[in-house]
Amino acid sequence: MKKQSFSQRAKKDFRRNRALYLLVLPVLAFYIIFHYKPMYGAIIAFKDYSPGTGIAASPWVGLANFTRFFSGPYFARLIRNTLLLSLYSLLFGFPAPIILALLLNEVRNKKFKSVTQTITYLPHFISMIVVTGMISNFCLSNGLFNDIIVLFGGERSPLLQNPNLYRTIYVASSIWQEVGWGSIIYLSALSGVDAQLYEAASIDGAGKWKQMLNVTLPGISPTIITMLILKMGSLMSLGYEKTILLYNASTYETADIISSYTYRVGLLDQDWSYSTAIGLFNSVINCVLLVISNRLSKKLSDTSLW
Amino acid sequence: MRKKNVLAVILSAALAAATLAGCGGTDNKDGLQTGNSQTGSSQAGSSQTDSTQAETGSQSGTALTYWCELNQNVSANYSNLGETPFGKEWQKETGITVEFQHPPANQGSEQFSLMLADGELPDLLEYAWMNYPGGPEKAIKDGNIYELTDIINQYCPNLRKYLDENPDIDRMIKTDEGHYYCFPFIRGDDRLCNTIGLMLRQDWLEELDMEVPTTIDEWHDVLVAFRDKKGATAPLSWEYTMGSLTSANPFAYAYGTCREFYLGDDGKIHFGPAEDGYKQYLELFHQWYGEKLIDQDLASLQLDQVSAKITSGQAGASIGWAGSRMGTWVNAAVQTNPDFMLVCAPYPTINKGDQPQMGQIDNRYPNQGSVAITTSCKDIEAAAKLMDFAYGEEGHMMFNFGIEGESYNMIDGYPTYTDVILNNPDGWSVAQSLSAYIRGNYNGPFVQDIRYLEQYYTIDTQKESNLIWGATNAAKYKVPPVTPTTEESKEYSTIMNEINTYRDEMTLKFILGDESLDKFDEYVKTLNELGLERALEIQNAALDRYNAR
Repeated sequence: MKKQSFSQRAKKDFRRNRALYLLVLPVLAFYIIFHYKPMYGAIIAFKDYSPGTGIAASPWVGLANFTRFFSGPYFARLIRNTLLLSLYSLLFGFPAPIILALLLNEVRNKKFKSVTQTITYLPHFISMIVVTGMISNFCLSNGLFNDIIVLFGGERSPLLQNPNLYRTIYVASSIWQEVGWGSIIYLSALSGVDAQLYEAASIDGAGKWKQMLNVTLPGISPTIITMLILKMGSLMSLGYEKTILLYNASTYETADIISSYTYRVGLLDQDWSYSTAIGLFNSVINCVLLVISNRLSKKLSDTSLW
Repeated sequence: MRKKNVLAVILSAALAAATLAGCGGTDNKDGLQTGNSQTGSSQAGSSQTDSTQAETGSQSGTALTYWCELNQNVSANYSNLGETPFGKEWQKETGITVEFQHPPANQGSEQFSLMLADGELPDLLEYAWMNYPGGPEKAIKDGNIYELTDIINQYCPNLRKYLDENPDIDRMIKTDEGHYYCFPFIRGDDRLCNTIGLMLRQDWLEELDMEVPTTIDEWHDVLVAFRDKKGATAPLSWEYTMGSLTSANPFAYAYGTCREFYLGDDGKIHFGPAEDGYKQYLELFHQWYGEKLIDQDLASLQLDQVSAKITSGQAGASIGWAGSRMGTWVNAAVQTNPDFMLVCAPYPTINKGDQPQMGQIDNRYPNQGSVAITTSCKDIEAAAKLMDFAYGEEGHMMFNFGIEGESYNMIDGYPTYTDVILNNPDGWSVAQSLSAYIRGNYNGPFVQDIRYLEQYYTIDTQKESNLIWGATNAAKYKVPPVTPTTEESKEYSTIMNEINTYRDEMTLKFILGDESLDKFDEYVKTLNELGLERALEIQNAALDRYNAR
């Protein structure tokens, strides 16, 4: 009874809004073809896949690929490195564009503001290989950073060979590269804050600082929280590109992350099933993190993705 | 009403398209599977050969697709091998049209993987085929490439003749099962096999009144003098991060060990980094690193940084190739410092006057630039003929010297490069102009000729390099191109992945001093825990099978 009524309702709705359905069709097709269909390939994580025999015909191996990863000698280190690097990136990298946006928002000189904005978001457009090339040159024992260290009375040392510095270099350079670009979305949110609220706050005697705390931040908090949830969802999926360009065997201890390990083992050795298994494990963790952070945010602040 | 129909048509079309796309992948895989069953036995493979040939006929003008990495000396001036004089001449001589395909620079192995995963293969595939996961035999079993025995016997008289005349090469390019899988790149002379060695500033040595060092102790004295008297901040600097240069470490060889597997005096394969000699080598390097005799940035050095240090005098010694390193550096540095000169140093020994034992050496079949015919190839005869050309007389000259009258002339029976190569009118370097006309200066499916190298080296000290660096017993310790069985190969690569990561990490830590050398025994213990013994077992079994070929 209920089913029929649903199909009747659907029919009616379809008749009424067929133009809208038509509009959504390409998007739907895109997701089905490029996002859902490839998911079928994920089953090779449970198989001993070889391209010659194909996905369907390759023999099942159960959880062998997962146990190989979990019982591998580097499992704990990879998880730790990935999580710590992500966490530091989040801890320092996430507030940075917000702070920059808040600062820029207070700048009254239009020209200065636009010049600063341009300068800060330009690094976003430099290709990763150039950025890492610059970093590795600056970090040499006779490079720029060491010149600065010597200027302040320190001693020269090869910075990229020090596992203790690797995370700092990684996170700081990421902030340098993305802070301007990341601030754009907050700047646009800031422009949406009602000017009357500022007026009211200043009449009530709030200074710039109080205005920022009580008007600006609450005004853009939905944006901040949405961005945060999205960030949480990709906590485990740090890309390998920057890592493989920056690390070397002497910094594996802190630098080797899941994706760079997968790159070395999976892609270079063409062990597709194994790398798919690791990728799948990653995605599941990410998905769980996303759901949890969304739940939390819903409870605490009424803002959520769904 | 009509509008509704249109909508229905569009909708069903979209649905159909989505379904088709969904099936596409599976269809493709089925196709590959069929290819597999056909090549299951070589008999079936050859019968298919005949039928395909009857259908299309050879040299019918259909282009063969040919995938290979584009050498950087070619890509400096051309975007496709088919545009080079070499590529055009090859097609003209064989009458076969070839469409060359190239992956982006330095992405060869990634693109190769993706191509295999995708299943759409070009007709001819140039690759280091022994690196195929599971070995070349697996590539045949997977139905990706043809087993070539019948094809070579039937269509390739030149290669057949060469292999019959050189049984040691013949053994290298077969699988344990006796199957041919590629048209190999072969170094035609033993002197082409030692290419890496030590070099240092000759002008500094003369100025300091020192001899070319031959022992570890003499090296220490020279490096100290470079540091103290010449102000070198990184006396010994080389591209440590580059695999082949790290492997060929002359100072490790001095202690009778190396970074890889080697063939011991007992005829068995050993793993260098787990042996006592390796500890002595690490002690030496740790000491030298502490004395600032070795580049402090060792672990992160890139080629451009090393080049800058050598040519500017921050470094005085290096490890590298006579051509691409030594020649390039001398030519660049004499522009500003006319006295600048490098000299080759022999592989060092511990005791003065000893003969160096181990050294860098390639196998005559160095596992690079070899071409397989894939199961996508429709015109096998044309493909085989295209490949066989290079192993014949004419092809050999073309691949090594280019076009007679244009890139070389026969002077007293010696193919001599013209000014187009040696003093290129467009100002190209010799390496670049060579790469336009020949493949002899890098690799490919042919036999490399030593006469190319004799002319490629223009500086006297380069010409001596083969003699100086070759004065070892390296060949005795070199592991021949063995392959684990298909079943063992996954286990082997899993073990070696972990071991190599651990070895690289610990080696650097020992050298940099992050880890004390007292822990060397612990390190060896961990290597064994990671499965070293099993890896050695697999390697030695593979060696037995190789010897039985």
